[in-house]
Amino acid sequence: MNQNTPTPPSEEALRPHSYDGIQEYDKRLPNWWLFTFYATIAFWVGYWGYYEWLRAGPSNRQRIEKAMAAIEAEKLAATASTKLDNSSLWEMSRNPVFVEAGKATFNSICATCHKESLRGVADGGIGANLMTQTWIHGGNPMDLYNTVTNGVLVKGMPAWGPVLGQKRIIEAVAYVLSHHHEGEPMSIVSTPAAK
Amino acid sequence: MSVQKSTVEFNDKVVRQFLLASVIWGAVGMLVGVLIAAQLNFWQLNFNTSFLTWSHLRPLHTNAVIFALVGNMMFAGVYYSTQRLVKARLASDFLSQFHFWGWQAIIVSAACTLPFGFTRGQEYAELIWPINLAVVVMWVVFAVNFFWTLAKRNEPSLYVAIWFYIATIVTVAMLYIVNHLAIPTSWTHSYSLFGGVQNALVQWWYGHNAVAFFLTTPILGIMYYFLPKAAGRPVYSYKLSVVHFWSLVFVYIWAGPHHLLNTSLPGWLQDLGMTFSLMLWAPSWGGMLNGLLTLRGGWDKLRTDPVIKFFAAGVTFYGMSTFEGPLLAIKSVNALAHYTDWIIAHVHGGTLGWNGFMAAGMIYWLIPRLWSKPLHSTALANLHFWVGLVGILLYVGAMWASGITQGLMLNATSEHGTVLTYPNFLDTVNAIRPLMLMRVIGGALYLAGWFLMAYNLWKSISGAKPVNGTIEVFAEEPAHQAPGSLSIAGWVLNPPVVFSVLGIGFACAWMFGGHFLSIAGLVGTMFCAVVAFSHFEAKRKSWGDWYDRLLVSAVPFTVLTFLAVVAGGLIQIIPTIVIHKAANVEDRRQIPYTPLELAGRDLYVREGCYLCHSQMIRTLVPDVLRYGDYSRLGESIYDHPFQWGSKRNGPDLARVGGKYPNVWHLRHMENPRSISTGSNMPNFAWLLSNKLDVSTLPRKIAVQRQLGVPYPQWTDAEIAASVDDQQKKIAKDLRDSGAYVDSDREIVALIAYLQQLGHYEKVVPTGTAPTLAD
Repeated sequence: MNQNTPTPPSEEALRPHSYDGIQEYDKRLPNWWLFTFYATIAFWVGYWGYYEWLRAGPSNRQRIEKAMAAIEAEKLAATASTKLDNSSLWEMSRNPVFVEAGKATFNSICATCHKESLRGVADGGIGANLMTQTWIHGGNPMDLYNTVTNGVLVKGMPAWGPVLGQKRIIEAVAYVLSHHHEGEPMSIVSTPAAK
Repeated sequence: MSVQKSTVEFNDKVVRQFLLASVIWGAVGMLVGVLIAAQLNFWQLNFNTSFLTWSHLRPLHTNAVIFALVGNMMFAGVYYSTQRLVKARLASDFLSQFHFWGWQAIIVSAACTLPFGFTRGQEYAELIWPINLAVVVMWVVFAVNFFWTLAKRNEPSLYVAIWFYIATIVTVAMLYIVNHLAIPTSWTHSYSLFGGVQNALVQWWYGHNAVAFFLTTPILGIMYYFLPKAAGRPVYSYKLSVVHFWSLVFVYIWAGPHHLLNTSLPGWLQDLGMTFSLMLWAPSWGGMLNGLLTLRGGWDKLRTDPVIKFFAAGVTFYGMSTFEGPLLAIKSVNALAHYTDWIIAHVHGGTLGWNGFMAAGMIYWLIPRLWSKPLHSTALANLHFWVGLVGILLYVGAMWASGITQGLMLNATSEHGTVLTYPNFLDTVNAIRPLMLMRVIGGALYLAGWFLMAYNLWKSISGAKPVNGTIEVFAEEPAHQAPGSLSIAGWVLNPPVVFSVLGIGFACAWMFGGHFLSIAGLVGTMFCAVVAFSHFEAKRKSWGDWYDRLLVSAVPFTVLTFLAVVAGGLIQIIPTIVIHKAANVEDRRQIPYTPLELAGRDLYVREGCYLCHSQMIRTLVPDVLRYGDYSRLGESIYDHPFQWGSKRNGPDLARVGGKYPNVWHLRHMENPRSISTGSNMPNFAWLLSNKLDVSTLPRKIAVQRQLGVPYPQWTDAEIAASVDDQQKKIAKDLRDSGAYVDSDREIVALIAYLQQLGHYEKVVPTGTAPTLAD
C-alpha cells in the first residue's frame, strides 16, 4: 500500500525478538525523511556560520537601530515639507476631512481621559476639559499641537508623537479646534479646572 | 539447567487508579479552560472575585491539564505497559500507592493555592516551594519504583517504549529541580535563584522541555506500546525508532530559547534556539511515521474501532504540531506569531489533539482489559471522537485566524512605515472577539466529548469486577542471556558513543571557539562525520550488535540518555550564569526597587499580570513604535522572577512607568472600562480595599540581597519609613487628582511598581570584559 520498497510484504523482515507480543519490522529510513533531517542540519551550519561565526549578517540590535533611524529620517523629511503654524491649523479645523479623521483618533485615544464630550474632568474623566476657554499648557493651535506631540508627563499627558505620528496628531488637534473659534478669548491656569 | 515456571500477577490496581484520576482531573482542568476562555470575551464572568479571576485561574488550567490530566494518564500508561514489557510486577506495592496518593495530594494542594494568588510567577512552574518539594519527592518515588521494576525484569531487552520512559524520568527530574531553585522568604513565598535574562533562559529551557519530556516522550512511549497492540500490527521500523529517539532527546533540549526570539536574550542563544528547533522537525516526524505506518494493513479498523481512530488522529495532530513548532521558531514568523493566539492554537493542537486523543485511545483500550466487562458503548466512543475532533478543529482554526489577524494588525504601519495603523491595542482585541467566542465553542465541544467518555467509563465499570493481568514467566538461572550486557568500557568505548561525543565536541569548538579553535572544530566535525558514516557502512553489523547489547543494560542506557539530554542545557545555561551579571550588561542597568515598589511587584506576580502583559519590547519596529525603545537585558537584571511574559492579551508594560498619571492606574485597576472602553481586563477592585502586608518585606529584601541585588543593609525601621514615605506621596498625588484611598492599601504599592517600570541607569561600558550580550 504505502510502501516505497520494492519487496513484497511477505518478504518484510521482522526482528526476531518480540515484546509482550509486539513485533518490529526493520525498515530502512525513508529517504525524504533523512533528506529533511540533513537539510535542517545544513541550515544550522549555514545560519550559524553566517550570523555567529563570520558575523556577516546584522544582529537584532543593529537591525532595529537601522530601521528606527530610517523611520526618523522619513519623519523629519515629512515635517520639513509640512507648513505648520497657527493659521494653517485653524484652516484645517474648518476642513471636514481633517475634522472627521481627527474625531476618530480622538475618540479612540484621547477620549480615554478627555471623554468623547471633550469635557474631561467635568465629565468624569481624568484629563483637562477641552471645551472651555481656559487652558493649562496654552490654547494656541501650535501649543495644542506641541502638548499632544511631546506630552506633559508631570501632568499625566503622555507624549503621543511617537505613537500616533504627525498626521493623526494634526487631525486630532483640528478636531479639538473645531469646537473653538479663531480669536476667542483664552486664559491660562497652572492647574486643571476644578469640577 | 532447571527451568522454573512461575505466574506473575501485575499490579493493575494502580493503573486503574491513575486512569480514573486522569479522567476526573482532566474534566476539571478543561472546565476551567472553557471558563477562562469565556472570560476573555465576557469580563463579567470574572465575578469581581479574586480567586475566580482569569489571571488566578489560568495557572490552575495549565497545571491541571499538564500535571493532572496528562500526568495521571502517563503514570497509568507507563505502569501498565512497563510491567508487561519487562514481564515483572511493579517492584513495590507501597511505592505505587504512595505515588498515586502523593500525586493526588499535590494536585489538590495546587488547586487550593493557585487561585488564591500563591504563585512563583513562572509559567507551568507556578506552584509554591513546599509543593515543589513534594513534586520532587513523588517524582523520585516514581523513578525508584520504575527502575526497581527494571532491575527485577524477566525480559532482558528494553523495548523502545521503555527508552522513552527512561528519558522522561531523568530529564523531567533535571529540568524541574533546576528551574525551581529558590530561596524561601516565608512558607508560601520564595524568590527564584535566577533573575532577569538568566531566569528567562532557565524558565524556557524548562518550559519548552516540559512540553518535550512531560507531554511528548512519555506519550511516544505509550504510542509504541498501545498502538501496535490495538492495531495488531508490527511496529513499522526499529531503525527509525533508534534514530528518532536519540536525535529527539538530544536536539529537544537546545530549542528552549525559541520562546525568547527577538527579545533581549543574547543573539547566539536565539540562533541556537531557532536552528535546533528546525533540526527537531525530522526527529519528531520519525515518531509520527512510526505511528502512522504501523497502521499499514490495519486501516480497515479505522472505520470501526474508536481506539484506532483516536490513535490515528492523535499521531496526525502530533505531526501537525511538530511541523508548526519549527515553523513558529523561525525568527521572522515568530515576529508575527509570538504573544498572539497563534501560539495558543499551536499548544492546543498538541494538547487536545495529541495528548487528549492519545489518552482517550489508551483509556478506551484499557477499560475492557482492566475491568471484567467490555466497553459499555462503542457508538458513544465514536461520538466522543467526532465531537472532540470538531471541537479541536473549531478551536485551533479560530485561534489561527485570531493570532494571525491580531498579529497583522499589531504590526501594521502606515505613512511609509513610520506610524502604527492601529495605535489603540483594544482595536486589535475587539477585532478577534468573534474568533475568541468560536474558541469557547470548540473547547466546550471537546469537553463534552470528554464527558461522554467519563459516562461511558462509568457505565462500563459499574458492577464490573477489576481484573489484574497475569503472565507465565520461565525463569532461567541467571536471567542474563545472550546478548551479554555491557561492561563500563563496552558502553563508553564503542564507535557510536565515541563518534557522537567527538562530533559534538568538535561542533561546539566550531561554534564557540576562537579563530583557530573554531576552524579546527569545523574541520574536525566534518572529518568525524565522514569517518563515522564510512565506519557505519563498513561495520553495520557491529553497530547493531552493540546496540542490542546496550538494550539489555539498563544502567548504561540511562546514563547515556542523561548525557544526551544534559549537553544542550549545560552549554546554554552555564555561560549565562557564571558571568557576573550587574557588571556585564550592555548599556543600561536596572535601578533596584524601593521597598514599596518591591511589595508592589510581588502583588503584580500574585495577581498573575504577567499572563496577559509582557515586559519585553522586542527588537522589532512595531514593538518599538507601540511601546517605546526596545528592552535591554540589563533593565530586568534584578527581577526575581523575571516577568517578560509570553502572551499579550493586553499591551506590553516594560515602559509604562510615567506614561499615565497615578489616578489613571487607580481607576483602571478598579474598573478598566472606566478608562479603556471595550477592555476585557478583569476588575481588580480588591486592591483598593486590601491592606498591604509589609511584615515580610525585611525578610524579602534580605533574600534579594543574598541573590545579588545591591540593597544597602537597611534596618527594619528604615524599610518601614521608606514604605511609609512613598505611600504618603502617592496617596497625596491621588488625592490631588480627586481619588481618595488610604495610603496603606495594596493599590498604592502596585502603582509605585508600575510607575517605575522602564527606569534604568546608564552604564559606561568597561571595554574588554565579556558581557552577557556576547
